[in-house]
Amino acid sequence: MSTSTETLQRVRASAVAFADEFLEPIAADLDRTGNFPKALVAELARQRLLVLPTVKDAGFTAHVETVQTFSKACPAVASILNNHALAAYAIYKWGTDAQKKAHSEGLARGETLGAIALHENGPALGAGPDALAGVLAGGKLTLNGKKVFVRNAGVADVYVGFASVGAARSTSLAGFVTTASTPGISVGQAYETMGLRGCPVADVTFTNVVLEAGLLGAAADGPDMLGELCSALALGEAAQATGIGKAAAIHASSAARTRIQFRNPIAVLQAVQQMLAEIATDAHLAWLGVLHAAQLADAGSPFGIESAMVKSFLGRYGQKLLIDAVQVEGGMGICETAPPHFKGTLPLARMFRDIAGITLCDAPDDFPEALIAASF
Amino acid sequence: MNLITPEQTAIQQAAKDFTAKHIIPNAAAYDKSGAFHAFLLEAARPSKIFGMAIPKSFGGLEYSPLTQALILEEWGYGCCGMATTLAANVLSMESVMLAGTDAQKKQFYTPMLNGKIGAFCLTEPTAGSDVGGGKTTAVKTADGYTIHGSKCWITNGGIAEVFIIFAQTDPNAGVKGISAFIMERGTPGFTVGDEENKLGLRSSNTVFLSLQDVKIPASALLGEPGDGMKIAMQTLDLARPAIGALAVGLAQRALDLCVAHVQERFPAKPFPGQALQFKLADMRIQIEAARQVLHHMMALREAGKPFSEESAMAKTYGTDVAMSVATSAMRLMGSAGYSSEVGKLMRDAKVMQIYEGTNQIQRLVVARAVLARPKAAAPAEKAMAK
Repeated sequence: MSTSTETLQRVRASAVAFADEFLEPIAADLDRTGNFPKALVAELARQRLLVLPTVKDAGFTAHVETVQTFSKACPAVASILNNHALAAYAIYKWGTDAQKKAHSEGLARGETLGAIALHENGPALGAGPDALAGVLAGGKLTLNGKKVFVRNAGVADVYVGFASVGAARSTSLAGFVTTASTPGISVGQAYETMGLRGCPVADVTFTNVVLEAGLLGAAADGPDMLGELCSALALGEAAQATGIGKAAAIHASSAARTRIQFRNPIAVLQAVQQMLAEIATDAHLAWLGVLHAAQLADAGSPFGIESAMVKSFLGRYGQKLLIDAVQVEGGMGICETAPPHFKGTLPLARMFRDIAGITLCDAPDDFPEALIAASF
Repeated sequence: MNLITPEQTAIQQAAKDFTAKHIIPNAAAYDKSGAFHAFLLEAARPSKIFGMAIPKSFGGLEYSPLTQALILEEWGYGCCGMATTLAANVLSMESVMLAGTDAQKKQFYTPMLNGKIGAFCLTEPTAGSDVGGGKTTAVKTADGYTIHGSKCWITNGGIAEVFIIFAQTDPNAGVKGISAFIMERGTPGFTVGDEENKLGLRSSNTVFLSLQDVKIPASALLGEPGDGMKIAMQTLDLARPAIGALAVGLAQRALDLCVAHVQERFPAKPFPGQALQFKLADMRIQIEAARQVLHHMMALREAGKPFSEESAMAKTYGTDVAMSVATSAMRLMGSAGYSSEVGKLMRDAKVMQIYEGTNQIQRLVVARAVLARPKAAAPAEKAMAK
């Protein structure tokens, strides 16, 4: 699927307008309350921004652009969107006609919200004490176990996930899709998280959940599907990081131009210029990496290595974007709310917390460098 | 080899116990609410620990700089917000130690030995990194001074009993026109503004102070008129390593949490992959280096040698390491780091790179010292020939 110029221009304009009208005004409140912004989902559908990876002439390029644009204003909503859009993509790409009929339209119209249940306790998928195990028999998939750190958990209507199926020595990961209302699915209390507040994260427990025709794709294709979905999710997360970084550079630079110390704006100091330039450079180069991988994905080419490279790069430089942006603004940079003697907005403290929530790597054993090193 | 004395080991253990009992169990709740941890002052009072830097002749504990660093590391390990309350007290005390008369020392130290708190008031809205940019004035009157202006980012400002206030006594003389004063809480014209809602060190009290024609006696002047900048800079030289010490404690905590998570995640694997092992090793190397820079600086101070450059290094390197190690811990722990205590460590470390003189100002101090040194002699030709 390729992104046509007109479509991209349309998406770009809609995303910028949406961020200005709906996201900028709510970002600080959303961070404070952490309440899921339900009303925005329908509005996103109205603007046709909700399932871009599944839309002809839009695709991943349009999706990551939208995620980046949203993240400049409110990364929590970008996180909700990224997880929703990729759950929809998984069904669109690997679902049966019946599964598409059941879910795709609702997800595109924003009548239902999607989530992806990936992570488990333990050293690897299928290895933990409460790993999600599936039993396939007569077209039925029975699930028992727990998924952790599920974004959009509790507010999602449709879950895409992976479970270990098969006997002990020949376990494999199989994809599945289910509605949240299926008996036996329960969602734990939302975690307290330091950033991306408003995008709920929780455990999802499966107790004797029986799915009729719930298998996503062929059981044997599970690992490849998982790999592609993780790579796509990482691209969206990387776009979130670059969006936050770009917005932070603009804010910090404006703070540096107005903050007078030693009789001049601190923006004239080389040490400050160096920090601002590095933030902008790292965010821009990372974005080019995201864009390239998204274009590969849209062309139907493999993009796992390129996604891993973006992950590795942002693993090193992602948090630094905000460590330095806050440093430039100094005392005002660490304010969560503007003190009475200050006129203006102070979003950097929130951005510092938000970018920390873009984990990119999900666990100590998530090591994108292995894939990259083996690729050449 | 035991590098610290048995007495220091005992004091360190007492600090560990205090941290485990009072700080660690309460840190998360106070971080969340941002409320001031008044209980901590009560808990610390019997130990006279607020007086750890006060000379024995004034009833204090007179701990050596290194002993103080060992205690601060333990407090920082528990919670740098709470530790900042305790450490900032030392900051104000050092100014009096440097320039105060015996009467002033008594006035300042007595409440402190009874568990009261002091505050050091230098920063103003127009004077952060540029310390000389302040607009607060102290005008000489017949029987003292009248202070007018405001101060911001004052640690402990809302709870302190005694304050060190810096103000211009000769606005035309620039930094040479700044003087230092001791002011007690309750002096008319002095009011405390709202508490700042901060990213990190959230339970530490940080406020805006307003000084509207505050009248203080002539005896409140610390040192001579115009000594203010010198007193402030020397005080900060003494106090900055305290932030380095808290930062070393914070970094150690981040590493410990990360190691615990890795071991829990790979119960069957005592040595996970090299990438992970090396990252843990790097964290450990950074922490140890920061700790040694700090301890060496304290040893210089104890030996009566110059330590201004080393003081800047201990603060900068310690807090940069804290930021780096906490960020690495978050990255290694992935999703688990994001909803755990590591997030607090990252937020706290970020503030510490900024307060008590930004790490950029510290680099200016170090660079000036580096560039002011005489040129190194060229290697002798004979030696080259060999």
